[in-house]
Amino acid sequence: MAENIKNSLKKVSVSTREQRLGSVTGYHGDLQDLVSKSRCGTLKNRERCFSQSSLCLSNCAIGQLLGIRDVAVIYHAPSGCCATAAGINVLLRQLAVRIGTVNDTIMVGSDIDEKDAVFGALGYVRDIVKKVDERYKPKAIFVASSCVAGVIGEDIDSLTDELTEELAKPVIPLHCEGFKSRIWASGFDVSDHAIVKRIVKPPKEKRPVINFKNFFESERKQITEIFGELGVKPQFLYLNSTVEELEHLSESLATVCICGTLGTYLGNALEEMYGVPYIRTINPMGIRGFEAWLREIGKVIGKEKEADAFLRREREKYLPEINELKKELKGLKAVIGMGPGYTYEVARVLQELDMEVVWAAAWHYDGRYDNDAVPPALDFLQKNSPNNIGLSVADQQNYEVMNILNRFKPDLYFSRHPGTTVWAIKQGISAVFVADEYMIFGYKGTLSFAKTILDTVRNRSFEKNLAARVKLPYTDWWYKQDDKSMML
Amino acid sequence: MAKLRQIAIYGKGGIGKSTTTQNLTAGLSEIGKNILVVGCDPKADSTRLLLGGLHQKTVLDTIRDSIQGAVTLENLIKLGFNGIRCVESGGPEPGVGCAGRGIITSIDMLESLGAYTEDLDYVFYDVLGDVVCGGFAMPIREGKAKEIYIVASGEMMALYAANNICKGIQKYASRGEVRLGGLICNSRNVDNENELLRAFATELNTRVISFVPRNNIVQHAELNRKTVIQYAPASPQADVYRDLARAIDGNTEFTIPTPIGADRLEELMLKYGMMDIADNYKI
Repeated sequence: MAENIKNSLKKVSVSTREQRLGSVTGYHGDLQDLVSKSRCGTLKNRERCFSQSSLCLSNCAIGQLLGIRDVAVIYHAPSGCCATAAGINVLLRQLAVRIGTVNDTIMVGSDIDEKDAVFGALGYVRDIVKKVDERYKPKAIFVASSCVAGVIGEDIDSLTDELTEELAKPVIPLHCEGFKSRIWASGFDVSDHAIVKRIVKPPKEKRPVINFKNFFESERKQITEIFGELGVKPQFLYLNSTVEELEHLSESLATVCICGTLGTYLGNALEEMYGVPYIRTINPMGIRGFEAWLREIGKVIGKEKEADAFLRREREKYLPEINELKKELKGLKAVIGMGPGYTYEVARVLQELDMEVVWAAAWHYDGRYDNDAVPPALDFLQKNSPNNIGLSVADQQNYEVMNILNRFKPDLYFSRHPGTTVWAIKQGISAVFVADEYMIFGYKGTLSFAKTILDTVRNRSFEKNLAARVKLPYTDWWYKQDDKSMML
Repeated sequence: MAKLRQIAIYGKGGIGKSTTTQNLTAGLSEIGKNILVVGCDPKADSTRLLLGGLHQKTVLDTIRDSIQGAVTLENLIKLGFNGIRCVESGGPEPGVGCAGRGIITSIDMLESLGAYTEDLDYVFYDVLGDVVCGGFAMPIREGKAKEIYIVASGEMMALYAANNICKGIQKYASRGEVRLGGLICNSRNVDNENELLRAFATELNTRVISFVPRNNIVQHAELNRKTVIQYAPASPQADVYRDLARAIDGNTEFTIPTPIGADRLEELMLKYGMMDIADNYKI
């Protein structure tokens, strides 16, 4: 049973996904088995005796908040933990320029050193917060804890309480110690917990706005236009939002999210706390996803006719061409390796395009979302998939994916994280990098996606040539093993 | 030059580790040994008797307050009774930071400053209570202390802590040179204490190297900020510590301990602690 969010929000920090949602990073089986075990609560995590990679949850927690345009994040951490800050800083500034605005958010590391680890360094953090407040005038300040700060028990909760009073603005603790969870998405929940608990205010009125949680908002313009037809505006989160906008999230008509993994805590929290409905359909990828999603939005905000009218128009415009392309895509075999929010959505879209998904590896898996139900995309697949797809939870273990690809030798590999597709290509397998979260959004995205797949498989000379000239680190021995052989 | 012996004294909090360490090092100094005592307790009171008062500047205080490069051995080491060199690791204020990491930092600092000079015969580490985390195991890791003595009494919790410490030693003994030199019984006048400790030691694959009887003269000496050997050199208790010093100096029996389960420990307590004795609560 997932933890009640109202209770969760009473706590200083949110529990990890492993504790809250029964999430796992190791599983090997198939679609029917995974859903059945998730429903009856018998899903168990499988540990590994060898792990090739991982990612710190603090990246997700802090990365989300840095997208807000007028805050400060003080990361109480050794300097190495802040290594990604420079890249994030450039990216977020560019993404603000793209929509004609400015991201004034600042991140400062406290640079915990040996002495600080022994004596504690909250005094420095206090000084940093005050200096940052004086110099940059952020609307809210987040103080994030790192592994070292967590191990030595730095009391950021008392400090942020004191500073909230002193500075008369929200100074908010973020408990994103990396060792707490193996699941990076636990970091999304840490940022959502902070926003809902400390920034969002109780509603004074209802506003024609839909909260739209996403990553990089590349389809901001298109979504604004679609929502315009329904008479509402999207409030994109958290990238390019402001504290003032976030304060009003409780007044919106609904919350949607481009990725179930990203949105579960925020969506469910706003629904439970303030009655803002969370749209829990499959996601707007592919035709069935987009239609189900937009119809549900229409239903929730009382604009069903407008939603249907829009869908009719779009179907006429795009479906004939999509159907034509399906003939060429039919029967292509695919392997997928992505985060859980996309794996099962993309699997559904590939099946819609008449392709065959032979294996899907998700980096982690949430046994249920915060509403205590199996993720909708998986539920849909279980009821509609023509075959019982082989599934694993591969925790970004490239060696497992390489083994799977070698076993199935699919026509295509689909992945969503930088650097992952190249490994398939080096094995001679064509790959599609589903990097942009809106790559398969709506009819237009589905058509473009189908074309990209065809472009990829029509000319395989690059893959063939590269594979013939590259020596991979994986030995023949490994390819003879089962991909789950390092799972305990 | 004789080979430097690095010894760590462990035991339950309040069992008398510091008192025992200082008295036995005083005894060793009387037979001409050069000794460095490193207090590994954030309270920084492990060398009070040897120095005739608290060490005013701990390693961590010095590191915290000094500008880079100003941390010197002269600032850290104070000479105590009979030329015994005394250092206190110190630590953060209670409830803040990480004392365990502090011990690691200060021992590394002492090594890099060259505190372990060639003329030393002994380095003693007097370590806080149980081995609660990696920092407090520092003296027995990676070639620091190679001999461990555990101060214990016949009380249940003292034996429980001693057994836990043996688990730590066993862990590090498997990949290093650290060995258990024996138990030091600091008597609390518990029933059948000597027999219980000896039976317990046998189970742990070690021996009781000394039985230190309870004697109020130890408290009197402490109130006067002295070891018993200084305060009452002719007393039988001073001789007990001198015997302990000689026993350690001549000790050649070093073992890898074999810690026991909680059930076995309780069996021993029942067998020796309550054997044929009617309830008698006189202490």
